[in-house]
Amino acid sequence: MPATSAITLVMPEAVDDAVAALAEFGPDGAPLAGGTWIMRAPIRGEARRSAYVGLGRIAALQAVDLDDDEIRIGAGVTHVGLVAALSDVPQCRGLVTAAAKAANPAVRQMATIGGNLAAWEFPASDLTPALLSLEAAVELRSPGGTERVSLERFLLRRRAVEPGILVSRVVIPRRPLTTGHARLPLRKAGDYPVAIVSAAASMDGHGKVDDIRLAVGSVEASARRWPGLERALLGARLDPASAQELARERSGDFAGRDSVEAPAWYRVQVLPALVRRAVEAVLASPR
Amino acid sequence: MVDADPSTVRMNLSRRDARDKLLGRTNYTVDRAYPRMLHAAIRRADVASARIVRLDTTRARQMPGVRAIATIDDAPGMHGIGIADHPLFASGVIRFHGEQIAAVAADTLEQAEAAAAAIELELEPLPAVLTMEEALAPGAPLVHPGWKDYEILVEGAARGGNVAWEATVIRGDTDAAFARDDVTIVESCFRVGRQNHVSLEGRAVVAAFEDGRYRIETSTQVPWTVRNQTAKLLGVAPSMVQVTVPPVGGGFGQKFDCTLEPYAAILARKSGRPVRLVYSRQEEMLTCLCRENADIKMRSAVTGDGEIVGREAVVLMDCGAYGGEQIFLTTMTAHTLTGNYRLGSVKLVSRAVYTNTAPNGAFRACNGVYNTFAMECHTDEICQAIGMDPLEFRRRQVLGDGDIGATGQVFEGDVLGPMLDRMEAMRARSPSKKDEAGDRLYGRATVVGTWFVFVGPSTATINLNADGSATLITAAVEIGQGTTVQALPQIVAHELGIHPDKVIVRGADTDAAGFDLGVGGGRTTVSVGAASKAAARVVRDRILETAGELLQTKPEKLVLKEGRVEIAGVPGSGMTIAQVVQRAHQVSGPVVGSGSFTNPGTAAMPGCAAGHFIDAIDIPVFNVHDCEVAVDPDTGHVDILSYRVVQDVGRALNPRAIHGQIQGGVTQGIGYALHEEHTIGDDGCIRQNSLETYRVPLALDTLPIEIELYEGAPSIGPLGVKGAGEVPILNPPAALACAIRNATGCRVQQTPMTPPRILGYMTGHEPALELPHIAEDWWDNVLMTPPAR
Amino acid sequence: MPTFLTVNGEQKVSMRAPMTPLIDVLREEFQLTGAKNVCREGICGACTVLVDGRPVVSCLVPVGSIPNAEVRTVESLADDGELSPLQRIMEEHDVVQCGMCFPGILMALTSFFKECPHADKDEIRAALVGNICRCTGYERLIDAAVALAKSS
Repeated sequence: MPATSAITLVMPEAVDDAVAALAEFGPDGAPLAGGTWIMRAPIRGEARRSAYVGLGRIAALQAVDLDDDEIRIGAGVTHVGLVAALSDVPQCRGLVTAAAKAANPAVRQMATIGGNLAAWEFPASDLTPALLSLEAAVELRSPGGTERVSLERFLLRRRAVEPGILVSRVVIPRRPLTTGHARLPLRKAGDYPVAIVSAAASMDGHGKVDDIRLAVGSVEASARRWPGLERALLGARLDPASAQELARERSGDFAGRDSVEAPAWYRVQVLPALVRRAVEAVLASPR
Repeated sequence: MVDADPSTVRMNLSRRDARDKLLGRTNYTVDRAYPRMLHAAIRRADVASARIVRLDTTRARQMPGVRAIATIDDAPGMHGIGIADHPLFASGVIRFHGEQIAAVAADTLEQAEAAAAAIELELEPLPAVLTMEEALAPGAPLVHPGWKDYEILVEGAARGGNVAWEATVIRGDTDAAFARDDVTIVESCFRVGRQNHVSLEGRAVVAAFEDGRYRIETSTQVPWTVRNQTAKLLGVAPSMVQVTVPPVGGGFGQKFDCTLEPYAAILARKSGRPVRLVYSRQEEMLTCLCRENADIKMRSAVTGDGEIVGREAVVLMDCGAYGGEQIFLTTMTAHTLTGNYRLGSVKLVSRAVYTNTAPNGAFRACNGVYNTFAMECHTDEICQAIGMDPLEFRRRQVLGDGDIGATGQVFEGDVLGPMLDRMEAMRARSPSKKDEAGDRLYGRATVVGTWFVFVGPSTATINLNADGSATLITAAVEIGQGTTVQALPQIVAHELGIHPDKVIVRGADTDAAGFDLGVGGGRTTVSVGAASKAAARVVRDRILETAGELLQTKPEKLVLKEGRVEIAGVPGSGMTIAQVVQRAHQVSGPVVGSGSFTNPGTAAMPGCAAGHFIDAIDIPVFNVHDCEVAVDPDTGHVDILSYRVVQDVGRALNPRAIHGQIQGGVTQGIGYALHEEHTIGDDGCIRQNSLETYRVPLALDTLPIEIELYEGAPSIGPLGVKGAGEVPILNPPAALACAIRNATGCRVQQTPMTPPRILGYMTGHEPALELPHIAEDWWDNVLMTPPAR
Repeated sequence: MPTFLTVNGEQKVSMRAPMTPLIDVLREEFQLTGAKNVCREGICGACTVLVDGRPVVSCLVPVGSIPNAEVRTVESLADDGELSPLQRIMEEHDVVQCGMCFPGILMALTSFFKECPHADKDEIRAALVGNICRCTGYERLIDAAVALAKSS
């Protein structure tokens, strides 16, 4: 385990330079974004790499661009930055809630969207289920160029991302969705939620659901969609109580994870109530 | 003699240390640095139980920057409370995960940590007992196979095997009580977890070895204990050790023992340089001297009108690998688990049990908190069984004037009864918050509590200065509670007729101030206050005598007021105290006075308590707490809608400061009740290693506590005061548990009442607690043999 | 590799390794011991300082990641020894007990009030979720902050 004084940190100013540095360091190096995960590695008993490539000075990673088709978010945008940039975007209501409530105020100033998605050991990310419900994609930069993959696919392969590949942007397709994010910390706030439900839906002219995506976070090792419940809700009027009931019938779709904070059964047990709250948030959201 | 003007003693004096704390200038122990100072790190065990086959520091010594290494060879002594069972370093065997094996001092902390990690250690695994159930099982491995050979510091307790200490109370005939045909028998089991103090300043020390003596600057509540224990562990005379205490960044009982000071002292001597040792937050989480986990089984025989004719109880307290504070605390079970209410007869055993886990310690109101939780839950179970309203039961049964406590001491004054009336009036003044519960389950409870002030010896000296100020020298420590910046100067100023701002309070220094038991158990205002008052009385007499000569007036006719000596009834007469002091310098020498205090000792019923450190409590302190809760049936989250406190303070010298202690203490109690817990993993290591998983209350988790101070209860404290800082934490787990039970209809048996636990009660995921390692027959739970039956 | 910083208006150079947490540089190298080293995991907030105006937990900031940044610590709040309005109101309300949390709380609230000078009680509570106080039970310090917001 390298001592702090023996670790290299480089601070490139361009994405290409960062990617080149990562490729050069190979498996001994890693990107360092907000620092809120990597700096705590010693507490988790994890060895740190011998070199990091800091992303904080790369202006291109800090930008949020919106056009009619998509929202492109630089990987270095912090939680606070997300709230500032997307508060007025109706489709992002759930994502903004996630960014505004995660962790604590100081950590939200530091922790980034890219870091959040890249920290594969972190099951309780608020942004991940919110972005899953928006069917976001991730742009990966490597010396060979840029690749865009769906977030769902990225979550499956992120553990094994090769050295030299950098999450550079998160892209959200623009759709007429209303969204909601329900999280359950054990205290009122300030700790990681033991379960999260993010919902995004659109209604047809008769108020029936014609599109819905539900994502569940923190209940298992990685966030994932809840396709069974999505199918059950499709085509009907969106109603919190019936959504809760349908969720209860299908909560066996999740195994739950045991941790020192909460037992597996608890995370699954509270899911239906969180589905109700997420649906309530969707219904309360402006269209 | 004219008494000091009583109207001047009660005031909301502000804290003189607040400004520097707000400016970031206060120099805590963790902030102290000296030229040539080294940094120390501890090598700790990463197994719970093993024999040390080989310990080799050769390689570590050669690492860069290393200046000294300390091991068991440097600290031959053993320390402890009641029994000397605790060496400074693991001695031959490792008894808990995290136990200290060696200490290293180096130029930088990183170097010290690297060298500590490089110490070579060869271990042979030994079986471990990680729970009290395992420790008490027949044939269990012994944590201390050599327990019989330990030096006994206090005689009179039964000990044996993994039972480090056993205290019992037998008063009256419980067999007859339980055999009565007019009683209902109610039996309850409870289990509580460990609570970590999370003082923001963890344990920290800077030590030096100068002129042949150890100079220790440390973040402690007990400078004299640190002095004496360090000497005992190092095998030197106590006079070889000086302890001074900078402002302390939180204690809450964690720093009521000598812990890391001897490591730094040894390293300072060996290196010839100042050595700083600061425990990391992870070390604080994994080896904190926690409020202990405990198992409690109790049963009561109760008549239809609520008279408790008999109670039998077994309390198992996990002291971890070494006895420590739990040895003493076996005494306190009697005054809490069998306090509050009149009891016809009692059989109580309280056992400190060794396990291969991190040692526990003292924490604000100690085992009083969970014993009160257990007793008040048990009381509500009694009320349900006999069909009596819990408030009515309490009104009828609380201890009053002339009633006897568990050990037979006679209580003076009706206190709890009038306090219940006061609470009722308080409740009547503000509407119930039931509406705020909405769709959630609503519950409410009112509970009572009894704790004590841990008095004991203190001393004080006052130098009255020629500028009219007074310097108060005591070994009292400022841990944030405010006593040294509020109550003590107020008491001295009141006696001397000067403003409290004119009372300088010297920081604790064992070379300057005499013996003191330390800050803990609500004792500083009482014991140091009484000693300070006595010292001030001597000084006062000297001033009056000198002034009497100068003014040609009898001292009895003089008053001390606003920095002046005046002839009673003649405002503006006389002279300033400063002038009197200057005169005294010429005629009789500088004006100085000393005073001492110790507890008088309160009588108990002879022969009913065994293994107790004190037989009775000198100053009982009472609480009445009331709360309303809403419980989310979907998630088990508990929301506190209102919280009210009526606290017996004897006399409130600084009401605003006491309110601050109550708000803070109740909040800490809410944390313990609802969230905070350390549990032990299969490897014997504490599972919550950081503030991420150990959840203390945050700003969104609190609410304003409605407070009334109950004054006028009898107290031997100066001016009738009682300690006010410790007791607020006594009742929140009890109040919340009873309210949650009323809301959910579920029997609450364990703390903390986390959302998973509460939801588990409601859904059946949390099984009912049974304690098979506590035997049905009380006599099967004690080492002593029953009289022939 | 040296890191150049402006700390409380003064030019400073840190010679510490780049992954050294900013809190260690402030406390050990620059002798600015106001910010406290308590949890080193971004939860207690006692090390909160402003980096380029943003309140961050300095235990999680590698000093090498903020070259040329402007850092403000609690020591900078009282200009010429005059308490800031926030410090003054905390003193007036007798909020302080052990005091370890205040350097962080003051920096968090100073920054928060700059953004939301008229915040209400709930907003102030939420703003303090990253600052642990173990002594006071928070309410009095929240009341003091509310009083400041009302007076501004």
